[in-house]
Amino acid sequence: MQTKETIVCRCEDITLEEIKSLIDQGYRTIDEIKRVIRAGMGPCQGRTCRMLIAQELAKYYGIPVGEVLMPTFRPTVRPVKLGTFAGGE
Amino acid sequence: MPKVKETEILIVGGGPAGLSAASAAANLGASVLVLERDGKPGGQLIKQTHKFFGSKKQYAGDRGYQIGDLLIEQCGNNPNVEVWTDTTALGIYEDGVVTAEGQAKHLKINPKKIIVATGASEKMIAFPNNDLPGIYGAGAVQTLMNVHGIVPGKRVLMIGAGNIGLIVSYQLMQAGVEIAAIIEAAPTIGGYLVHASKIQRAGVPILTSHTITEAYGDESVAGAIICKLDESWQPVSGSEQDLKVDVICLAVGLSPLTELCFQADCQMKYVSELSGHVPVRNEYLETTRPGLYVAGDVSGVEEASSAMVEGRLAGISAACSLGYGEDIAPKLQAEALAELSELRAGPAGQKTLRGIMNLMDKGGAVC
Amino acid sequence: MLNKTGIPTAEDVKKVSPSEDRLKKGPVAIIECFQEIPCNPCTEACKQGAIQPMEDINNLPKLDFDKCNGCGVCLSRCPGLAIFIVDASYSDTEAVVRIPFEYLPVPQVSDKVVGLSRAGEELGVFEVIKVQSGGQKNKTYTLWLVVPNDLAMDVRSIRLGGVRHAN
Ligand SMILES: Cc1cc2nc3c(=O)[nH]c(=O)nc-3n(C[C@H](O)[C@H](O)[C@H](O)COP(=O)(O)OP(=O)(O)OC[C@H]3O[C@@H](n4cnc5c(N)ncnc54)[C@H](O)[C@@H]3O)c2cc1C
Ligand code: SF4
Ligand code: SF4
Repeated sequence: MQTKETIVCRCEDITLEEIKSLIDQGYRTIDEIKRVIRAGMGPCQGRTCRMLIAQELAKYYGIPVGEVLMPTFRPTVRPVKLGTFAGGE
Repeated sequence: MPKVKETEILIVGGGPAGLSAASAAANLGASVLVLERDGKPGGQLIKQTHKFFGSKKQYAGDRGYQIGDLLIEQCGNNPNVEVWTDTTALGIYEDGVVTAEGQAKHLKINPKKIIVATGASEKMIAFPNNDLPGIYGAGAVQTLMNVHGIVPGKRVLMIGAGNIGLIVSYQLMQAGVEIAAIIEAAPTIGGYLVHASKIQRAGVPILTSHTITEAYGDESVAGAIICKLDESWQPVSGSEQDLKVDVICLAVGLSPLTELCFQADCQMKYVSELSGHVPVRNEYLETTRPGLYVAGDVSGVEEASSAMVEGRLAGISAACSLGYGEDIAPKLQAEALAELSELRAGPAGQKTLRGIMNLMDKGGAVC
Repeated sequence: MLNKTGIPTAEDVKKVSPSEDRLKKGPVAIIECFQEIPCNPCTEACKQGAIQPMEDINNLPKLDFDKCNGCGVCLSRCPGLAIFIVDASYSDTEAVVRIPFEYLPVPQVSDKVVGLSRAGEELGVFEVIKVQSGGQKNKTYTLWLVVPNDLAMDVRSIRLGGVRHAN
């Protein structure tokens, strides 16, 4: 059987193992993790993985999920083709 | 530079909350623009073929899509309401301008008030091989079946016995698809028991205190291993079962779709009873960003019945703050608040009430 | 039990069952709605005043068995598909159970169907003697099944084409 992967971020194909290892290395926020491996930067902009990563951080630091710092939210809420900006009337 | 569209009230999201907000505000005289990401407004209602609970005021006994059609008609009949479909709001800026993408164009809107009614998005869970083709969210399955008329497969394992897991299972059964089992990690069924009973008696087992340990298959899902959980939610060894299924459907909950509220710098709070991060708001649903209201699942995942009433309340409050219907608005607001407390008075509503208590700021009156 | 499996217990059912005497007199509604949820269409459906108006929409429905004439209007209106009509006066040995039905194909009159219990277990093969359509808008069918007297309070569903158990 092929190696089993547990995917956390479907858009960017990032596994639970990768997230756990980053947390072990000392990355402490969703934003930091996002910058290193792009989790949450695909088409869904983190809707799937954000809270899964938050859960892992909460588990590691022994805090409630609600206390995990949320990433910065910037427009736009989904990736937009550059042409759309250029083509806007 | 795109031309800027002016409107009095901009509503983001054309689900039951957004549509109810639109007609309530428009009835008081405000001009309203609704942005809807999908090709047709109605939100979750479009996909609901079952009869809804609630009372007559919330169209109880009618099927979800019928309620959706009714709300669309109400907006369609009101000359003060404009609905832009296939249009996604992308950002809310500091100066109050909202940007959107529609018909491959970048649009700018300058509203006086904003009501965010974006609903919720599906939660996912992590388990080995969770990226195999054949693993779907319940919402995707509903869209496939009820919007496009395609069944996802032959035999389904449903994960989650909340209302969504129960109802989507029922809809799959109605479409002739076999449900191998509905599994639920919690020790009790989260959804309404009348839904659970009707599925059980049709021969589908509901297994509480059970979880999925892995999916397997080469190209796509061929089966799943499930196991029992003990009182402390730990797998019971030797309890594994192998279910041969070609579809695994995840119905493990929704979280409020609040990215726009985060961006708009509303004060946010994580409230587990409301299913995630939600904006702090007052009784009339105005957030800490003045002139920005929320309604429906985005302000705490609940029901279409309460989403419609919240929409109405936000619509009235926004219109009233612009000077419309000042004479009747307080009465209408009081009515909506009374309906909400009625809907939330039972055991099912207690959780929501706790969440709202936990969340609410001491907001002042809006009129 | 009910909240772990969705199967009401014998005690649950007893709470909503009429007396043997009332059952013998003719058709009567059995409202198997055991959880307080915000819902009340059944109270509005009953024109006989047999289902009391609810003070709080979360109340459980309360049925006056003596006022109920078994017309079945509430059965087709209930969004929870939780109401059944039992007529134990059908014959000396048999009763009619009316159940709500929303699957395809819809059985035809005189079809034989496999009757199921609240737990989905097979109870026997029974004849359909009447099929009522809920109409264009409502869409819920009512199936009339003839069952042995002693199963009148047990048959609550029928086997659907192709749906089997997990293992
Ligand atoms: C399977 C299932 C069964 C249900 N059964 C019941 C039931 O029996 N009774 C009941 O009362 N409730 C039921 N509900 C719950 C009910 O459907 C929801 O609570 C309700 O739809 C919430 O309304 P809303 O308007 O807040 O959100 P939605 O209905 O989710 O509408 C939000 C809308 O906003 C749009 N949108 C989101 N983001 C943007 C953006 N950036 N720009 C533009 N548009 C955007 C979306 O496309 C969507 O149309 C059920 C839900 C599901 C999934
Ligand atoms: S069967 Fe008819 S009379 Fe009896 S409770 Fe239902 S609606 Fe009322
Ligand atoms: S209509 Fe059905 S689900 Fe609703 S309260 Fe009455 S019996 Fe219960």
